[in-house]
Amino acid sequence: MTARVARAPNLGEELEAIVGHGHATDRPAHLAEVGIRAAASEPATWLVRPGSGAEIAEIVRLANRRHIPVSPVGAAARPPAALGAAEAGILVDLRRMSHVLHLDETSLVVHVQAGLSAHALEHILAPRGLSLGDFPPAILASTVGGMLSVRTPGKSSPRHGFIEEAVLGISAVLGDGRSIHTRVAPRRATGPDLARALCGSEGTLGFITSAVLRIHRRPEARFLSAHHLPDFEAALSAVHLAMREDAAPAALRVYDERQARAGLGDGAVRPGGAVLLAATAGPTDLAACDRDLIASSASALGGTPIAESFAETWWRQRTGREDSPSAALPSLQVSARPSRQAAVHRALRAAAAEAGIEVCVYASRFDPYGAVLFVTLIDPSTGEALGAQAEDAARGAIERAAEQAGAALLGAVPPALTPYFEDMRRRLDPAGIMNPRALASGSE
Amino acid sequence: MTRPAIDSDRLARALRPIVGDDRISAKETDLTTYSRDMWPRLLISIREGTPLPHRAHLVVWPETVGEVAEIVRVARSQGVPIIPYGGGSGVCGGTVPVKGGIALDLKRMSAVAKIDRDDLICDVQAGANGEHFERELATRGYTFGHFPSSIYVSTVGGWVATRAAGQMSSKYGKVEDRIAGVTMVTGRGDIIDTDGLARSHRGPSWTQLLVGSEGTLGVITSARLRVSPAPELRVLRGYSFPDLIGGIEALRRIMQRGLRPAVLRLYDEFDTLMNALSGGGDRAPADIRHHHAPSPPAGAGALPRVPTQSADVEERSGLLGQIVGQLVPKDRRRGLTQSLRRELVAATLSRPRLFNNVAGPVASRGLRRGCRMIVGLEGSRVRTETEARLTFGELERAGGVDLGEEPGRRWLEHRYSVSYKMSPAFRAGAFVDTMEVASTWERLVDLYRSVRAAIAKHALVMAHLSHAYPEGCSIYFTFAGYADNQKHAEKLYDELWRSGMEAATRAGGTISHHHGVGLLKSLHMREEHRESMAILEALKASMDPDDIMNPGKLGLSAGGLS
Repeated sequence: MTARVARAPNLGEELEAIVGHGHATDRPAHLAEVGIRAAASEPATWLVRPGSGAEIAEIVRLANRRHIPVSPVGAAARPPAALGAAEAGILVDLRRMSHVLHLDETSLVVHVQAGLSAHALEHILAPRGLSLGDFPPAILASTVGGMLSVRTPGKSSPRHGFIEEAVLGISAVLGDGRSIHTRVAPRRATGPDLARALCGSEGTLGFITSAVLRIHRRPEARFLSAHHLPDFEAALSAVHLAMREDAAPAALRVYDERQARAGLGDGAVRPGGAVLLAATAGPTDLAACDRDLIASSASALGGTPIAESFAETWWRQRTGREDSPSAALPSLQVSARPSRQAAVHRALRAAAAEAGIEVCVYASRFDPYGAVLFVTLIDPSTGEALGAQAEDAARGAIERAAEQAGAALLGAVPPALTPYFEDMRRRLDPAGIMNPRALASGSE
Repeated sequence: MTRPAIDSDRLARALRPIVGDDRISAKETDLTTYSRDMWPRLLISIREGTPLPHRAHLVVWPETVGEVAEIVRVARSQGVPIIPYGGGSGVCGGTVPVKGGIALDLKRMSAVAKIDRDDLICDVQAGANGEHFERELATRGYTFGHFPSSIYVSTVGGWVATRAAGQMSSKYGKVEDRIAGVTMVTGRGDIIDTDGLARSHRGPSWTQLLVGSEGTLGVITSARLRVSPAPELRVLRGYSFPDLIGGIEALRRIMQRGLRPAVLRLYDEFDTLMNALSGGGDRAPADIRHHHAPSPPAGAGALPRVPTQSADVEERSGLLGQIVGQLVPKDRRRGLTQSLRRELVAATLSRPRLFNNVAGPVASRGLRRGCRMIVGLEGSRVRTETEARLTFGELERAGGVDLGEEPGRRWLEHRYSVSYKMSPAFRAGAFVDTMEVASTWERLVDLYRSVRAAIAKHALVMAHLSHAYPEGCSIYFTFAGYADNQKHAEKLYDELWRSGMEAATRAGGTISHHHGVGLLKSLHMREEHRESMAILEALKASMDPDDIMNPGKLGLSAGGLS
């Protein structure tokens, strides 16, 4: 079903006729701005910046007629990468579509175009005392469309759930150029949640053009706290105990000893220990109640409070106001449900020891179903992260050990459901032009 | 009656090797029982002794997911529809076999697996009865927090298939908010599991694409549900507001402040009046009562045994019972013959506009009853106490008057009685039904007025608001209508629903909050989802390419009664 990329005479003119002069380009410098290194030879790659959902629909119809792949691009966060043949064609950059279409402060609902960055949306909401919620600041760099199109476990908060659960309605252009607008409702019982077919579909079933999102009032109070626990697993248990007690913190993080030293300094942790960091937010009394529930849970697991300044350091790093000493990307990320987190941690350490290396671990992105463990592979001789080559060599065995202990590797596509997804794709995108390489079975 | 050309004998021969003789039935009584649910339009037929419009060819009781898969493959090979069947408690005709086929009763698949203390996830089979499931959880120290009024007769699979909501959804959420994954036998006969517990997979959430599918994509055989520790404390209160608008504003403030009471129910003026007239009137304001007077242990009264129905209770209960109660002195009610009762009901319900126009203003201005609200909080002791203090403060700032604990306790004790109040109304010649719509707060008052006006032309109507969210709320209309014969009653019923659904759509609401679509709302799915139906159609074609799974539902293919 992969679209054939043919020579496309006058494609640029046709695209300009849709999006207007200056909004369609094939110049390498412009492509590099969105992270694309175009090949010098044919087929040509065109970058278009539509200004409306109607223009996107026309672009998709044109791509159907010409049998040309059409793929979304986001903000360039990486060095330019070469496109594969199947990806070349029309690249759609939605960042001209960056308007707030409607802000309903009575219902705490915002209708926003897909090209607005989540960070910019937060800037618009903040003066009104509003916010998207306690989501990890790292995800706010995405456009709203990008944030919703790619589903990962990290886009969540213990207090506000998963980002896609904030979607009350969605507008999109399907693979055949049809525009759809799902009805906005707080909840409904009219069949499956159709908006959720587009959330996570990575532009394969349709391009999200705008979304109606639930927003929140900024919390009346926010409390930060830090606790020292005897070990990493005790810190995880303290988190689970607090959640059982109904605590709904804004954010949580658990550092093992090495990670705590790297992120917070030597004074935060004793040998073999771990640090639990928590932010609670909401009405003052309730935020204080959640803080106290976490404190009593930590205490029950042998924890002791440590200086709040450690939590403040973490919060500044988390919100980008202070550089994190451990800013290097972790070697691997695995997700595990609460009952498996301790076993996964033990398996990671054991596999690392067998490979003659060490691991540095922290747990974050807690949600009702689990958390993500961020793992850095360490060279014991230097105490530093492994070099790229050594990391690649060691990663496989560590990942297998984690999986055997009950972890799930992030980013896999469930193979059992692939035939159904591919079938849906063929029906909604019969020409096979929509982001053709995304979400293939087993892709990461 | 429609009987598509399906060879029942051939079908039974193919199914016997899978489930044996004992778990297949072609008995008339079984086929009749399994060819309907509690859709009030069908109850009109039953009252009049008219045969049901559609009937299944066989009833089959599988015991394993493997058997379900084999049954689906047989049905697919013979082109026979399958209609998954739980408790039969739906009110939208979702289990009506419009093309005949196999009624697949899942009640023999009812196992409740072990719950991990840290994960708080319970794997439960679809046929588990709601009451049994909740009692089983209670013995282990947990709750699912899902208490629909049908809990004694509905199943977990039915809840998941229809996106159901319970009476404590403001804290615990609807079923779709509490589900980690499902196991389904698709219309192709494959067994699939959705979403790992830690949700690590890329791609759309298959769980959310299957929840609410009402049997049209496959058979949901089990679900991984998020449970909570059993509450340590429950706090209940009644409040009174001068009018509905004030009460709505209070609901909004509570939810948007981040508070999550388990129960938030606001009754409109007419419903409040009816409640008062039936003896459930609010007592004197409880100014002197301490806000934190000891509450009953959370376990007490959370799930009473199936309500027994004395004649007197039956007579007094429900919208019609209350009307009869007001029109006839108590000492003479027992002596009413059925025909006199029917005449009395007919006299009242034949003039819905008059009664609707009078009742609201009388309730709000004449009797100054205002609007009643029931509030309940539960959970861990410390957090519940804190949340209760903040919630009650918010209610008082919004103009609410504290009525003390008694209205809340009374609601808790009688909250399942409502489902047992329909029979007297139908026996009296009327029909009673409910319509649950929802919208964002910005549109909610308009939605209430529009839908109420649409129903009020045809039936006596009252409403309450429950299932509140930070961004909006559901409105639950209860109505009673009357016509002098079945044909007229069905015409009136259809016209009422058409008006109500159109009014909901025009006002920007959704046509269903938690009852589902079934046959009742199938024709309105196009207005609800418009062009987005393309996604549902693609999903259907992918999961059930031969259209054997519960055909005629969700607006996916031609269905209907005629």
